[in-house]
Order: sequence, then C-alpha cells, then structure tokens
Amino acid sequence: MIWNTLYDNLPYLLHGTWIALQLLAGLLAIGLVLGLALALVEVYGGRLARVCGIVFERVFRGIPAVVLLLLSYYGVSDFIEIPPFLAAVLALGLRSTAYQSQIFRGAIQAVPVGQMMAARALGMGRVEAIFRIVIPQAMRHAIGPWTNEFSSELKATSLAYVIGVIELTRQAKYIISSTQGNILIVFGVVAIIYFIINRLGNIALYRLEARMTVPGFERRRA
Amino acid sequence: MSTVLRVESIVKRYSDHAVLNGVSLELARGEAKVIMGPSGTGKSTLLRCINHLTPPDEGRVFLEGEELTSENINKIRQRLAFVFQDFNLFLHLTVLDNVRIGPRRILGQSKEEATERALTELRRVGLEDRANYYPAQLSGGQQQRASIARALAMDPKVILFDEPTSALDPELTGEVVAVMKQLASEGMTMLVVSHEVAFARSAADKIIFMEGGYIVEEATPEVILRNPRSDRTRGFLKAIGEQEAV
Repeated sequence: MIWNTLYDNLPYLLHGTWIALQLLAGLLAIGLVLGLALALVEVYGGRLARVCGIVFERVFRGIPAVVLLLLSYYGVSDFIEIPPFLAAVLALGLRSTAYQSQIFRGAIQAVPVGQMMAARALGMGRVEAIFRIVIPQAMRHAIGPWTNEFSSELKATSLAYVIGVIELTRQAKYIISSTQGNILIVFGVVAIIYFIINRLGNIALYRLEARMTVPGFERRRA
Repeated sequence: MSTVLRVESIVKRYSDHAVLNGVSLELARGEAKVIMGPSGTGKSTLLRCINHLTPPDEGRVFLEGEELTSENINKIRQRLAFVFQDFNLFLHLTVLDNVRIGPRRILGQSKEEATERALTELRRVGLEDRANYYPAQLSGGQQQRASIARALAMDPKVILFDEPTSALDPELTGEVVAVMKQLASEGMTMLVVSHEVAFARSAADKIIFMEGGYIVEEATPEVILRNPRSDRTRGFLKAIGEQEAV
C-alpha cells in the first residue's frame, strides 16, 4: 500500500525537508547580506558602483531560476569541482540578492530624507547615520515584502533537484519511481509539507513585524 | 561682545540662478537675530549654507573663529545646532532616545550622563511627561519642542531655526515661541528664520530683512517694525500686516 510506503519513506522525506530548509536558510542569508549591501550601493553609492549594482540586479532578475542553477552547476564545474548543494545556494542566493536588493532599496527610499538630514545636522557621520537612523526604519518597512520573498524562495528550493540536490522534491521523485505510480498522493504529501513550512515561516515573520512595530510604523496587513 | 558665528559673503546658485548673492552676517554671544523676507528669497538656503547641509558655492563660515571645512564639518555641527521646519525627529525612537542619541552616540557620554542631560532638556521644554512617547504620538508643537530639546542636548554655541513654527497649526505656535523666547532670555545665541513678528519684537536683538538673495537691512526690531529704511521692508511688513507706523 502507498501509505505504508510513505510511512517507510518518511525519514527520506524529512531528510529532504531538512536539506530544503538548509538551502533556504543559506540562500536567504546570502540574499539578505548582499541584497542590503547592493541596495545601499544603489541608493548612496557613486555612479559607477550604482551602474554595476543595477546591471547585476537586472541580470539575475532576468534569467529563469532553473537556467541559473544549470549555469552555476555545470558552468562552474568546468573550472572547479563544486557540490550541487553549494552550486544551488550560490545560484539561488545571488538571484535572491537581486530581488532583496529591490525590497531594501524601496524600503530605504521610503525613509524621509529629513531623517538623514537631521542626523547629519547633529554632527553624525554619513555611515553612522545610515546604520543608526535609516536602516532601522527601512527594515520595518521591508518585513512585509520580505515575507513574500521568503515564500517564493522556499518554493524555488524545489528547483534545485534539476542539478541533483537531494531535497524534498527529489526525494518525492525517488519514492515515486521505486513504487510506480501514486504520483498524486506522494506529491500531495510534499505539497502539504511545503505549505506547512511556508505558513510557519510567515507566522514567525508577522510576529517579528508586530514586535518591531512602533507608533508611526503600524503594520499593514496583507 | 565676542563674535560666535561669522558668515562671509555666501553665494549659492542653482544652475544659473543665484539664490544667495553674497550674504554676510555676524552673531555675538547671546545674541538673537531674526531673518525675515518674502518667500523664495533665500532665507532657508542661507541657514542650510551656514551649517553646510547645502554647501555654499562661495563664502566662508566661522564658528568661534574656526572655519567650517569638509574635514571638520561633523565636529562643528555638534556645536551649531539646527532646528527644522518639519521637526525631523527620528521616527523609530522615543522622545527620550531622540534627545539622548546626540550626547550618547556623537559626544560619547555615558548612558547615565546622556539620559540625565536628555531629561533636563525635556524638562526645559516642558515634555518630561512625554519622554517615552514616539514622535507619531505627539502634536506638531510637542514634536517641535522635542526637536529643540534634541538640539539643546548637544550643548550648542548657536542654534539655527529654520521657520520653526511654519508647519504648525496656529494654536500650536505659541508653545514653541514661548520656548524660543525663554532660550533667548537665557542668553542662547540664535539665528531664526521666521515670520513670528511677536517673537521678533520681544526676543530678537536684531531683525535682518532679506530679499532676492541680499540682506536689504539689519536693525533693531523697533527700527525695522516702526520705521524701516527701505521701502521694500516697509512693503513686506505691510503685506504681512505688521507695519505699525504709517
């Protein structure tokens, strides 16, 4: 029976889920750090830095995720040996960088210019003003759209199976090929797992948003 | 009287339009001067040029004899406070943190010292009971008083006020003007761009009348308000309904 098979294969599904979560955490972390840096460059940087940032962002937003994964794995493997997991973190992480940079750019630009001016007028340096005044406000604006990015990147981790990362979707394919058929049930279970992770993540992010809310930055529920 | 702030022939152009055509002025210690003049005449630009928020194209500024340069600008601004028309309180910080951040993070005082200083200044502007509120929870008048407290906490030598009551509802200007009068009477050196004639009359040592990027005349409030030398000053005061003598 398929239910017995699923039960027997549960450790593999959970392991696949664990790999997917690691991939998600890795790519979101890359996207967060580099995306914020890219946004700062685009808003405050010199002209050349700004142009470089925009070109990077256009390229990575303009290519399908699967193509990026294939380029990253097979392209890079031509020069150095690279495990599929690492190739996937890099490809999806850089793609997320491009998307997150746009979230943070919008959030930074939503902070009134008077905030920076007031900080500078007190005698605060530009960099310190960015970190003490602008970014704390921008981050509050960014959480809402970032929740969106979390959801779409969780789903994008399933694409990593094309380069052989044994994540949740790949495990499901293995189960199906070893049991012949039952596609609907196996993928139904996988869909539920993705859905649950997505909901849990969103709930956690909404909680964070609520905790960081101060008067004047009330959350706009989607 | 010793000169605290000296401004020498400031010129500012936007493309080929000159907003300031060589403006010079001086403030002695404890002096309060009010700049008046029609809108679009360069008053706010002048104030921003003085602390280099808008760098001037030509001209020099000296605070206590030290010339402002791009190297020492952050140091100088710590002693040359600026109060904005639209307050610009830091929106994510409480009133207390708004006032405390300067002494704590810029002047490097201890947390206790900075907190005490902030509470003293909040008491001075009558806002000690609002210390834990956020800017969005305050009225405009309260926000402007908090921003004055933020300026005072830096222990400035001069405060520049850029139309501090223009963004306020009429019934809220009084509380801000009262705080500014009190500061003037305590000997704070102030340069105020404002059309608050009542403030100018009772608290200013001099009124500067500006038009078209020039200083037209500078004199005591009695002279400017009763018997200005220039017809343009007379015309302006008439237009805002404050010409006292015919």
